Amino acid sequence: MTKRRLRLGGFFSVPGNHLAGWRHPDALVTADMDFQLYAHITQVAEAAKFDTIFFQDTVGVSGSRALARGERTRAKLSRTVKLEPTATLAALAMVTSRIGLVATATTTYNEPYNIARRFASIDHISGGRAGWNLVTSQIEDEAENFGFDEHMAHADRYERAAEFYEVVTGLWDSWEDDGLLRDKQSGVYMDRDKVHFLDHVGKYFKVKGPLNITRSPQGWPVVAQAGSSEAGRELAARTADVVFTAQTRIDEAKAFYADIKKRAARYGRGPDDIKIMPGLTPVLGHTMDEARETYEHLQSLMPDDVALQSLSHISGGLDLSKYPLDGPLPELPPSNAAKARQALVVKTARENNMTLRQIARHTAAGTGHRVLVGTPEYMADEMQVWLEQEAADGFNVVCNHYPRPFEDFCRLVVPELQRRGIFRTEYEGITLRENLGVRVPENRYTREARLAKIKEAS
Amino acid sequence: MAIAKRQLRFGAFFSVPGCHPTGWRHPDAICETDLDMRLLAEMARMAEHGKLDCMFFQDSVAIPGSTAVYGAKPFRVKNGRQAHIEPMSAIAALAAVTSRIGLVSTCTTSYNEPYNVARRFLTIDHISGGRAGWNLVTSQAEDEAVNFGRDAHFEHGVRYDRAAEFHDVVIGLWDSWEDDAFVRDKASGVWFDYDKMHILRHKGKHFTVRGPLNVARSPQGRPVVAQAGSSDIGMELAARTAEMVFTAQTTIKDGRDFRNEMHQRMDKFDRGPDHIRIFPGIMPIVGRTESEAQEKYEELRGMVDDGVGIAGVARLAGGVDIFACDPDGPLPELKPSNAARARQEMIIAMGKRGMTIRQIGRVLAMSQAHRVLYGTPKSLADDMQAWLEAGACDGFNLLFPHYPKPLEEWVTLVIPELQRRGIFRTEYEGKTFRENLGVPIPQNIHVKNRSSVPVRAAASND
Repeated sequence: MTKRRLRLGGFFSVPGNHLAGWRHPDALVTADMDFQLYAHITQVAEAAKFDTIFFQDTVGVSGSRALARGERTRAKLSRTVKLEPTATLAALAMVTSRIGLVATATTTYNEPYNIARRFASIDHISGGRAGWNLVTSQIEDEAENFGFDEHMAHADRYERAAEFYEVVTGLWDSWEDDGLLRDKQSGVYMDRDKVHFLDHVGKYFKVKGPLNITRSPQGWPVVAQAGSSEAGRELAARTADVVFTAQTRIDEAKAFYADIKKRAARYGRGPDDIKIMPGLTPVLGHTMDEARETYEHLQSLMPDDVALQSLSHISGGLDLSKYPLDGPLPELPPSNAAKARQALVVKTARENNMTLRQIARHTAAGTGHRVLVGTPEYMADEMQVWLEQEAADGFNVVCNHYPRPFEDFCRLVVPELQRRGIFRTEYEGITLRENLGVRVPENRYTREARLAKIKEAS
Repeated sequence: MAIAKRQLRFGAFFSVPGCHPTGWRHPDAICETDLDMRLLAEMARMAEHGKLDCMFFQDSVAIPGSTAVYGAKPFRVKNGRQAHIEPMSAIAALAAVTSRIGLVSTCTTSYNEPYNVARRFLTIDHISGGRAGWNLVTSQAEDEAVNFGRDAHFEHGVRYDRAAEFHDVVIGLWDSWEDDAFVRDKASGVWFDYDKMHILRHKGKHFTVRGPLNVARSPQGRPVVAQAGSSDIGMELAARTAEMVFTAQTTIKDGRDFRNEMHQRMDKFDRGPDHIRIFPGIMPIVGRTESEAQEKYEELRGMVDDGVGIAGVARLAGGVDIFACDPDGPLPELKPSNAARARQEMIIAMGKRGMTIRQIGRVLAMSQAHRVLYGTPKSLADDMQAWLEAGACDGFNLLFPHYPKPLEEWVTLVIPELQRRGIFRTEYEGKTFRENLGVPIPQNIHVKNRSSVPVRAAASND
């Protein structure tokens, strides 16, 4: 039996996922708006044989409500502006050839026709390397950019997301493979019998179709998801090819992993059909001490007000600045935005007896992701254990700033993983589905026709 | 000192696999230009080599003709325009492999949210180093409406009302940050200057958008805004907001009248002729000799499909059943169209000149009713020079009948002739699309409003 191998994704959160990471002497502060840097990082990831590069997204400046209220301390927050990820993917497709290109696009403030079209286009442009991270918008700052005062309730958002997914995948099947004839002799460009109307009429959407782009090189672009709540897990189990998740402890990661695969099985999906990739923030050093020093240095760069702000979207509306920084994390009211994330933060604080400042800095440092501080060997050990114990199929590497920590990970950790035979030395295929090892979905209309033929013959 | 000679400008209009709806049948046509990004990239390099101002991508959010009219079968199977790469994704991709040419994509205001559109164009502007343009349109086909939860598209007036407000929201968002808002000072820990951030707080009839945008200001101030509306309401919007206008006049007189009228309308918005560039569309057919050009023209004319043409007339008929009329008879009285109003006026004028339905259809089915210009490089240059000198245009949008050969011929045969005459650039003037187009960098609207009237909403234009 061939050894299971890790999948690696570069989780790109510019100018750095650590809220004070940009202040580090090595950090490139223009990383948020400079396409050349995005291209560089993606090429570094491709040279290291990463499966994907992945862009998270929000449709607003986080904290814009507070900014609008006049909270000037927010001017210290570096994750303010950036390149819109789907346009960025299209451009990155032209300067890479193998790496998967995944971007977040929300189902809450978009139209499915536009999204289906855009990701299918990126899949065509990239020769089959596009991925869509399907999310529901969870930052309340976003709503007011789209005519709403508040977010939709959590359940409605997921119901809309599920229907959105049905419409998008239905549109992706609009064209059977031989729908375009382009026959100069007869003058017929398309075969109207091979192009299908979706005629979707649902609770949230009414979409006739067909899509004005043919089926893409990998059938459908890869679908990724990150929901960890009950509704999120169920949707992921049914629909996702890749699941992004924030797991900090191996026992919980294993439980999550087993749960998703078990749920997926209920939808007739095998364990290999869905890849689970927790986030991981590396803080590397040649020695453990050097790595710890680097981490301490980073933490010391973080102002208290910035640290506290990292808890604001999970605070359930509670103003944490009124509480003593050296006291415990107070009880939080329920959050409509990010339920799972809130539970995780509260649990971490309680279990480790952390003060408000400590949990705030901790959260700001990794935004809930696991921070691994150590040598390349230590990091490889940890990743291998998670792989072998079925806590993960791979990891999304989340960096504190750019480009150095990512370059170091690729230069130091990847070769170590390859030596151990748990990471590829060459891409297996050309498309993202081939490299991830997930199936190409059959076109529903082609399948219907095929099944009808079988039935007829029997 | 001599006054610098006015020069022509060109947009390469991209409606792949051809602007001639059945021109894809030409032996030289490469139909895969509709979906193969490598071919688009090669053509972009060719257009850039020819120093053209921009690539200009047409769009609709549906397969044209997928909703059948009057019981005809859905889809226009002979038309090459079926499936194509979404143009905003295409121009983002092209930004990575070109360095000087402007990249313009159509994007509808009818079925999008302004925050999303503002963000994507501004992002492409950053990726390209200041070369993005937005062709602002309103959607006018039933095909599109049914993909967005509607049974019919918006009524003409509502559509434009929404478009105008959409534009103002986008501009207000593009100016969310002043040019030097991001200080990124490691020592003090300050990322941006709070006072250089502007929160739009737009509350209008169609949109409520707080802002700010999560993209920094554009390298060229703002992406260039293009428009194609030629109806009264369309011209009014263009006069206030457009920097590039794509039109369809076929005579010097009409071109000059349109351009003069546009300039007059702009007056009341404190905008001068240098704030706008007017590009009538032409379908160019180039031959090395007059007889070769004539042959090529006849060949393409012979490929026109009557059915495609009559369907084109039907789409503009405002509900009159054209299929029930004698195709060789006169155009009946049309009801006001809720679709492309200026284009309906154009076919009514053809009908008044005595053209039959079939004949009108053939004009639509060859060049989408744009002027077909065929001849040698010299005769084409003469014609365009006459338009330029008569003040009938600032340049032309080039509707190639198919791709890529007619584009190559334009670049290799016509451009050198224009350069010899000094009426086309031999080098790009600048790095950004604005610099090359010669339109000014707009002042940040929030800064402007702050220094003129006390806190005026970006959207108020009364």
